[in-house]
Order: sequence, then structure tokens, then C-alpha cells
Amino acid sequence: MRIGTARSSYRHDESLFDSRTQHGWLAVLAVALLGFPFLADEYWLYLACLVAINIASTTGLNILTGYTGLVSLGQAAFMGIGAYTVAALEQKLGTPVLLNLLAGGFVAMLGGLVVGLPSLRVKGLYLAIATIAASVVLHFVFANWHAVTGGHSGITVAPAEILGVSFDTSFRLYWLFVPITILMVLGAANLFRTRIGRAFIAIRDRDISAEVLGIPLLRYKLLSFGLSSFYAGVAGGMWAYFFRVVTPESFPLIMSIFFLAAVIVGGMGTILGAILGAIFMTMVPEALKLIVGWLPLSADATLILSPVRTIVFGALIVGFLVFEPLGLQEIWRRIRRFFHLWPFRA
Amino acid sequence: MRRTVLKSLLATAVLAATAGLPAVQAADKEIVIGGSIPMSGVFAFAGIGIHAGIQDYVKMVNDAGGIEGHKLRYVPEDSAYKVDQSVAAFKKITSQNKVNFYYGDSTAFSKTINPELDRAGTMIMSGASFATELNDPKKYPYQFIAGPDYTQQFGILLRYIAKEKPGAKVAFVYSDTEFGRDPIESSRGVAKEMGLNVAIEIMTPPGAVDVSTEIAKLRRARPDFTIFHGYILGPIPEFIGQARQLGLDTKFMGTFWTMDNSTVMQMGDVAEGFMGVMPYNYYYDTATPAPMLDKIRAMRPEYQNVPYIQGFLSAMLYAESARRTIAAGKEMTAANFKAALNSIENFDTGGLIGVPITIHGNTIPVGRIYRADTKAKRMVPASDWIVLE
Repeated sequence: MRIGTARSSYRHDESLFDSRTQHGWLAVLAVALLGFPFLADEYWLYLACLVAINIASTTGLNILTGYTGLVSLGQAAFMGIGAYTVAALEQKLGTPVLLNLLAGGFVAMLGGLVVGLPSLRVKGLYLAIATIAASVVLHFVFANWHAVTGGHSGITVAPAEILGVSFDTSFRLYWLFVPITILMVLGAANLFRTRIGRAFIAIRDRDISAEVLGIPLLRYKLLSFGLSSFYAGVAGGMWAYFFRVVTPESFPLIMSIFFLAAVIVGGMGTILGAILGAIFMTMVPEALKLIVGWLPLSADATLILSPVRTIVFGALIVGFLVFEPLGLQEIWRRIRRFFHLWPFRA
Repeated sequence: MRRTVLKSLLATAVLAATAGLPAVQAADKEIVIGGSIPMSGVFAFAGIGIHAGIQDYVKMVNDAGGIEGHKLRYVPEDSAYKVDQSVAAFKKITSQNKVNFYYGDSTAFSKTINPELDRAGTMIMSGASFATELNDPKKYPYQFIAGPDYTQQFGILLRYIAKEKPGAKVAFVYSDTEFGRDPIESSRGVAKEMGLNVAIEIMTPPGAVDVSTEIAKLRRARPDFTIFHGYILGPIPEFIGQARQLGLDTKFMGTFWTMDNSTVMQMGDVAEGFMGVMPYNYYYDTATPAPMLDKIRAMRPEYQNVPYIQGFLSAMLYAESARRTIAAGKEMTAANFKAALNSIENFDTGGLIGVPITIHGNTIPVGRIYRADTKAKRMVPASDWIVLE
């Protein structure tokens, strides 16, 4: 139930979380996030870390595709830049973890700015193809710049270490990744309360009108590419600390499609959408495995059901696109709306 | 009504939550084999065979009473041949079971999971990867390969070539992937040592279909033997077909993942005479006594592919390692399992491999050259077993 939340000031009107109910639920979420590592086993902690990384990257792509309307299939390659930067810094210089992650983000950002240049001239599918081309070029660089990337064998990354504590288990990495992801998500949410964020939305809705309104398209499109790549770079850096081996084959094109699908399934142009999309895309294959595991079936039946699971996953994605084009966040919004007046409305 | 709904919802939630809890297993007197098996995805053709192979060997051992009073238990999970899902499967299986042996699905997984194996110190692992990098007992102390690594596979092929045609010209054709590049650099030196001339090295982009420019290069080099590596099937048939049309007289060869009977026969007519290295006997080999193959044929009358044999042999080596560890009264740790594995000398695999095997490092450096007979639709031996020192 949520009543009596009349907004009495502009500040209140603009706030990210505007009601006591919301604050209450946020507190519940915070307690859940704090308590989760102490209750979950290694498997669930591993998935939580993976989800955190995927949320960070999906949020980045959402800034570019969902909010600015620029389709990119290069997100995995930008993650690769971040991962290689972190791996190389860790291996060659042994610089601090947080600095490495930031450096990963900034180097990926530079890559994003270069790849974003064609975005002034091409849009839609053409831009998607341009970003695929960039992925191919980056893959070539990863595979052949032996001195830095270690060629096809890649780089083995030492565990992240902060103040003498080695982050070598999912339990410890959880305490590193989840706060970083929360900061990144909050950063993105706040971005769209600023001139920059609103300029992105204006460009998405009609770029010519945006230019007429005085928004310099090149600067803002590049900024969007840069920010999106920064998110991907940091996510890639976390990925490097998580899997501890970075090779050119770690970031295939299919991974970029995964993030784009997460943005679409979750709901384009909403912060919650990117979160829900990333959770959905990461967890549904695992959830389907759990369901198949619970069924009293023989090992052979598991074998037969493996491809069925893949089909069900695909069908679920198509189902969302057909029946809920606004994505999971719209379903979430409907549920919330129902409870706003519950139990006073039947 | 509302209460009933709430109650049933609560009951469902509790059921779901408890079903998700780690299954409490009978921890003692059992040996657990976990596996990230690619039952779906691009590598499913191998994963399905591997799964069946491990499953059959486990059943066979348990039906015979187990190992020193311990039953084998196999816990597989589909990895879809994706590293993140393979690691998820590993975490799930190892957090819910006391795993002693593990089967991994790829080189990337083997490299990614290595620190976990080192830290756990409770299990050893083999898998679908034959990567040369894994054949380093210092870097990968708790892993092994149930066959020769890719460089050793090239070594077996080159030794055969050096014997058949001393000083022959050889071409290496490989894909631009970690898999493809694996044995190339190290095999140059091996070829030179054997007095062979590596006339040309051709790298093809991953998934290449049009190979006409590569064929032109191959034609200019005129090699006596051409070794493909880093592919399953494509673009090998296109290569052979076009080379034959141009009248190029070279013998084409492949490595393990190309060499399954069904893969080679898929090449059609161009497969005739295609050769390659295979560390195991094929399902249908009856030339020499092979009691284990007889048992496999009795269990499964239809053809089983070479990944099946690889999975079966892996399980056999896990069991043998466990048997030796338990018999010696040692604790079931990774170090003891690996030491037991490395104590294997002149071990009879029941005909899965045609000669007794010895495991000194992380591999079994044994193989034989087979040739495709398209009329019989079978791979037939072209050499005796070759054991590398």
C-alpha cells in the first residue's frame, strides 16, 4: 500500500526514491544483499557475482541503446578492453585493484569514443554493423598484440587483493562486485536527472529536433558511447578478476547479443529494466536446470531435456517480446501499481 | 479463500526452497565424479558421447561391487560449452557433493578452474581439452589429459610421415583460434628434428568457408602431407575437394576432434584415404582382443563415437587412481590421486588403447594412424601404435 505521497517540493519531485514504502523496501533489499552471502553456498554466490557483472554491463548498454537510441553490438568487445587492461596492469605493474578497474573503464571509454565516431553518420542497423566491425578489429588486436595480451593463450590474472585480503572466492568477490555495481547503477539512475541524461533521451526520441534544441549531437553521442563503454570496461575488469583468465575467445559476439537481449527483455530505457533483464538472462538458464534437476528423471532424460531447455529459454525471450514489448520492468510496474492501492481496491 | 491461497503459496515456496538446498548425500564409502558436460550447444555431439561413456563405466564398476567397498557416483551438469555455465556447474556440483574427480568441457574451463582445483586440493580433473598448455604438471598439478596433447598428436603424425617418406614436405593448415594455433609453433621444431620440411603454414579465419586462396598457396608449396588442425569438419572437405580437382598429390591428415568415424564419413567421397591420429581403438575394432570394447558393444549395440571412448577411459583412470589411493591406505586428496595416477605403468585399458599405457606427466602420449575406407565406411589402421617418449 502506498498512499499519502503527495510531492510538496521540486526536490521531492525529482528524488530517486520518493516514498516511505520505497525506502522500506530498499532497506529490505539492503538487508537481503548484506545477509545473502552468509546464507548462500558457493554456487549461489558465484551466480550473484555473475549477475552483478552482467547488470553493470547491461546498464552501460542501456545508456547507449535504451536511452540514446544507438544500437551497439560491441559491448562484449569493450568488456574485453577493460578485462585486458585490468589483466595487463595486474600482471605487469601490480597496481591497486580499484585503480585497475577504473583504468579498465577509461581505456574502454577511449575505445568507445573511437567506435562511436561513425554514430554521427549512421544509425540503426548500419551502426550495429559498424560496432560488429569494431568487435572484429578488437578481437584481432586481442589475439595478435602478444606483448600486451599474451596472444591466443591470453593472460592469467592473479586474485584481486585489497589491504592484504585476497579476493579469491565468490564470497569475497561478492563484497567487491556488488557495491561497485550498486554505485554504477545509482550513477546511471542519477545521470538521467541531469542535462546530459535528458539530452541522451532527446537524441533517442528525435535527433534532428534535439539538435534544433541546441544539443550538440556529436558531443552527446560520443559521450553516450564513452559512458556505455566505461561501464563495459569496469564490468570487463570485474570479469577478469572473477574468471582469472582472459583470452580473445572470452568475449565473443554472442556475448554482445546477450547484453542487447538483456536490455530488450528487461525494458529499454529504464534502469530497472537493465537490472531485471540481466538477472533474467543470467538466471533463467540456471533456473531451468534446477527445475529439470528437481524432476524425478534418469540421467538419460536430463540429456534429452538439455536441448529442450535451450528451446524453452528462447521461447521465453520471444514470448516477452510478443506479449510484453515494454519488458520485464513493465510487468514489475504493473504489480507495483496494483499494490499502490491494495487492499482498498478490489 | 484468501488464506487458503496464501497457505498454498507458502507451502509451494517452502517446498521450492527446500528442494534448492544442497542434497544431503551419503558422504562416506563413495567416490564422486562431477562433470561440466556440454550436453547442449555447439559441442553437444561430443558431450553426449562423453556423458554416456562416463555413465557406462560407472555403472559397470558399481555392478561389479565398486572400488574397495566404495561406490562410484556420477554427477553431471550441462555446460552448453560456455565457460560461465561450466564454472556455475562446477560450483553447484562441488558445493553440494564431496567431489573426488571432475570432467571439464574445454581448455578455457580447464584454465579458469585451475586455481580452484589447487585451492580445494581434494579432486583431480581431466576433460575434453587436449591443449598442450595443460601438459605442465607444475602449472596444472591436479589435471591430466586422457590421451596425447595436440603437440604430441602432431608428433605421432610427423613420426609416421618421417618413417613413410623421409625428408617429406609437410603443410600445416590450422584455424586462427587458440585450439588451431596450439601445436603449430612447437611442432615446427619437432618436424625439423625428424628431418621433415614444413613447406607452408596456412592459417584460416575461424568459420572460413571459401578456401580458394589457401588452396592456391598449398598448390604452390606442393606438400607430400597436409595436416589439418583446429577444425571439427569444415572447411576440410572443401580443401580436399578443391585440391583433388587441381590434381594436387598430397595426403591429408587430421587430429583427434576430426577423427571420429561419423565426422570423417560426413566428408563424403573426398574422405577416401584421409588419415589422422587416434589415441584409442574405434568402437568396431576387433583385430586385437579388447575385452572392454566387447563389454561396450554388449551394452550399446549401436556405434559409439570417440568422445564416448574418451569419457569411458577418463572414468576408468579416475577409478584406477582411486583404487590405488585407497589400496595404499592413503587419504583421498588431489595430491594422492595424482600420485596414484602417475604410478600407472604398463596399464591394460582392456583394449581401449591398443598398447599398455604409462602416465608420467599429464598426458598419455600414445596414438595410431588411421585411414578412411569410404567403401567400408570405417577408419582402418594405417600404422602400429606409436608411443612417444
